[in-house]
Amino acid sequence: MKRAVRALTAHRPRPLSSLVLALTLVAGGFAAWTGQDWYRAAHDDRAAYAAQRDEALAAGEQAVQNLNTLDHRDLKQGLDLWESSTTGELHEQLASGRAEFAEQVKAAKTVTTARVLSGAVTELDDRAGRARVLIALRVTVGASDGAKTDKDSRMLGELTRTGGRWKLSALGQAPVGGAPTG
Amino acid sequence: MSTTRHHINRQRRRQARATRSATSAGTPESAGSPTRPGGTAVLPPPGSPSPPSARTAETAADGKAAGSGNGTADRKASGAALGGRSARGRSRRPAGLAALCALTVLLGGFAGWAHAKAEALRDDPARRNTALTDLARTSELKGRTSKAVDRLFSYDHTDPGALEEAARDLLTGKAVDQHRALLADVRKRADAQKAVITTTVTESAVERIDGDRARVLVYADQSSVGTAGNGAAAGGADRTGESRKTAGDEGVYAGAMLAVDVVHRDGRWLVSGIDTFGR
Repeated sequence: MKRAVRALTAHRPRPLSSLVLALTLVAGGFAAWTGQDWYRAAHDDRAAYAAQRDEALAAGEQAVQNLNTLDHRDLKQGLDLWESSTTGELHEQLASGRAEFAEQVKAAKTVTTARVLSGAVTELDDRAGRARVLIALRVTVGASDGAKTDKDSRMLGELTRTGGRWKLSALGQAPVGGAPTG
Repeated sequence: MSTTRHHINRQRRRQARATRSATSAGTPESAGSPTRPGGTAVLPPPGSPSPPSARTAETAADGKAAGSGNGTADRKASGAALGGRSARGRSRRPAGLAALCALTVLLGGFAGWAHAKAEALRDDPARRNTALTDLARTSELKGRTSKAVDRLFSYDHTDPGALEEAARDLLTGKAVDQHRALLADVRKRADAQKAVITTTVTESAVERIDGDRARVLVYADQSSVGTAGNGAAAGGADRTGESRKTAGDEGVYAGAMLAVDVVHRDGRWLVSGIDTFGR
């Protein structure tokens, strides 16, 4: 009887302490769970890959648009932009054919502008720094007499990352009927 | 007067006395111990029968208390016992409770903050778009969409039901009307010329996957082979075609490009929108 009384006084449940302790444990559990969740979200490999994909696409769209834009009144700036948007073989081709091409455009007096309709990355090797893009393009050619013609282009581009930036290393149109059309 | 009540009263009193003596002695460990002299001076040790004189005295006292103020004494005694017990932890427990409360608030605050951070990271549009990052889904989408476009833009004048079946199977939402409008002309011409239009997707790329919605850019070739009159059906099968060429007896080839919105429903990808870029 006496022992029972002592046990009762020594271990009488303290509702407030128990409640606070339970709350602390629950809060601790939540903190551990969300902390781990946050860590996982911050160290997700796919996030870095997704960032590279979007960067490559943005650079590809801009470069393809640049290469389809040329004003005969401002050839130097236009062709400089062509060269700065490209790298590798494509860059060499453009640089070597620059003078000849400039003469042609000057003679034709054309103003070419382009608008990207849609674009997507088909392949991305973020370690090697290579990507392949599909870019749907609408090119508007303004002739010297003011006439304008629209032409849709199904572009296939290859990008290479150089010095942390994505640049076009190859560009062509998707072939029709199994044969390349240019 | 019941003996049980008598016994309980005795226990209470003994306990109160013991606690009081323990508090004054400053040794909390021995509180309530019956071996203390303070306890035995008045009450007999437990187990041993009380001397008859003591028992009668108590009985008499209890007898009086039953009617008058002994209840107050009892209450006083138990009050003293309570005071003795809480005096030990009075300085420690509230501080501990406060620390626990603070810890709870801190942990809760961290949990909320970490959750917000994780959600912000995941809500990043670049990350929400799982095109290419989810390779399995990306290639599945490319395959399904290519097959869907092949079926939806191919037409055989001898089997017009196939196109209607494809439309029923693969289209949903506004794509139904878009598809009908796009194909109406083509069907009329193909029927007149008894032509077979075959569409083959040559390139496709997934622009965006966001959960069960996606957008796919598609390049397709269309060949139109007429079996009546002049052989090749004049004009492209699709208005999106921007470059054409005749390939001998094969008919007319046209290249087309379109963006297709698809939605994942009941385990299948359905076309919910067809964008021909205003052509």
